[in-house]
Amino acid sequence: MTTIDWIVMGGTLSFIVAFGVWKTRNVDNVRSYLMGDKDLPWWTIGLSIMATQASAITFLSTPGQAYQDGMRFAQFYFGLPVAMVILAVFVLPIYYKLNVYTAYEYLESRFDLRTRTFTAILFLIQRGLAAGLTIYAPAIILSSILEWPLTYTVFLIGLLVIIYTVAGGTKAVSVTQKQQMIVILSGMFIAAIILVNQFPEGLRFSDAVGVAGKMGKLNVVDFTFDLDNRYTFWSGMLGGTFLFLSYFGTDQSQVQRYLSGKSLTESRLGLLFNGIFKVPMQFLVLFVGVLVFIFFQFQRPPVHFNSANLQKIEGTAYEDDLVQLEQQHTAIFDERQGVIQDMVGAIRQDDEAAISAAQTQIAELDAQDDAIRSEVKDLILTVDPASKTEDTDYVFITFVINYLPVGLVGLLLAVIFSAAMSSTSSELNALATTTVIDLYRRSLSKDKSDGHYLRASRWFTIMWGVVALIFALTANLFENLIQAVNIIGSLFYGAILGIFLVAFFLKQVGSRAVFLAALIGESIILIIFYLTSQGIIELAYLWLNLIGCALVMVLAYILYLLGMDKPKPGASEA
Amino acid sequence: MNKPESQDLDDERPPIFKSWNQVYAFVLVLHAIIITLFYLFTQAYS
Repeated sequence: MTTIDWIVMGGTLSFIVAFGVWKTRNVDNVRSYLMGDKDLPWWTIGLSIMATQASAITFLSTPGQAYQDGMRFAQFYFGLPVAMVILAVFVLPIYYKLNVYTAYEYLESRFDLRTRTFTAILFLIQRGLAAGLTIYAPAIILSSILEWPLTYTVFLIGLLVIIYTVAGGTKAVSVTQKQQMIVILSGMFIAAIILVNQFPEGLRFSDAVGVAGKMGKLNVVDFTFDLDNRYTFWSGMLGGTFLFLSYFGTDQSQVQRYLSGKSLTESRLGLLFNGIFKVPMQFLVLFVGVLVFIFFQFQRPPVHFNSANLQKIEGTAYEDDLVQLEQQHTAIFDERQGVIQDMVGAIRQDDEAAISAAQTQIAELDAQDDAIRSEVKDLILTVDPASKTEDTDYVFITFVINYLPVGLVGLLLAVIFSAAMSSTSSELNALATTTVIDLYRRSLSKDKSDGHYLRASRWFTIMWGVVALIFALTANLFENLIQAVNIIGSLFYGAILGIFLVAFFLKQVGSRAVFLAALIGESIILIIFYLTSQGIIELAYLWLNLIGCALVMVLAYILYLLGMDKPKPGASEA
Repeated sequence: MNKPESQDLDDERPPIFKSWNQVYAFVLVLHAIIITLFYLFTQAYS
């Protein structure tokens, strides 16, 4: 990194943090702190919602995914606009009518205090651990690429976020997210333009896209119905709608964003803004990955994208093996160049037979290259068995560091850090709000002054920030911690969604039935998980989300039919 | 700590459109058009 890159990155991040603190310097009451004075316009809400969902991993992994697997991941988001419309029609008016600070407050008016507290605690466990991961995941990649100790990148992300989130609360989160989204989108646009400008002379843009298409990278839509295929139109529309309903409708880190709107109209428009622009934004990010793929068709890519892994081999007995594999990798690349030129010529002449022949040759060369890349991974594992050899997440950042002009490297790194900070700030803000509103003020310390709750909100934000930092700093000590976090999420997320769906759509079911159903459902989920961990049954843990949700809904309805209880008077009006 | 002030739920007309149903229809139709364009893009370059 040059001095100019440091200035661009440091200046961009410092400006965002300073602006957030300065803009919210007058926040002096708990309503401002937790609800942002409810004065945000729709476009700020929309950008804030998008910034919360788009973490640093979105901008590190997604281009790499397109490089590896093409653009089919875009279908994952196809259900999102549908979910936004459903939430705008049915859920948002309920939250507004009840004037809630958190999604879980609604559960008390619909059911009772224990259901609210139970659900809030489930959210805190799940999101508290996830906040650490939101810092850790990009920090480990950036530390590897920048050759900084992990502690530095964790603290850089974590401390900057804590400063402005503690200072200005919800308003600081939304204000900074607006700046962060502007930086992120500008950075990705500029990266796309630079990539196109770096294509070889004489290669037209349409030729380049044609080559990517013939290599199967432009597979945006797939209408085949295949349950084993993770990304199809159907899985996106059906599974995606379900997933995004739960994420945007019941996760406080998102609910808090649109509840800070000036009015119901502004909040609705904010959600719909997300519904309109999210899919095209993901398309852009994936297309940048395809452009990186095209770039590396004409510029030799490294044999392995995580340079830190390759450095482990240097100076060992396996260094000569690595040099030999790199030479083979270069030879295949050189041979591939000729075939790609043939393919470009065939595309221009629309010669299907020649295109097909080139595709076959490239597939053979790619198979040879994949074998070499696997051998390199084996070498890395031989030197350090604890290494993670999956290098897809390092594809885009490798391009940024090595091929972008001076100044833009700093801007793109600011994009990654901004994305990490925007997600983390929403999470810390939501964790503090839920802790204060659903537990502390409601059950532990009632009827205190506004100033008391404002101070408590700031301290709880610091507390969750410290929890996230500790988790991020120690995550690398536990090999399976990331997977553990995902599993913990899957253990609880289904029950949370089930409770909310009963609240919204099964108006006749009351508090005792839903609470008992949630306890039984959660117990069954834990038993299933135990049986899975013992190898007695085989089930991917992601299915626990769906099973948990279905169990709570079905059990609650059965218990209602058995005469367990009646809903609270007026609940159906909620 | 006080509850937030009561919200005015008088549903204003949305900007540009005559009703919210038209806004929702616009979002969903636009989404359908985007998917169609993606499909044509996929077909054109496959």
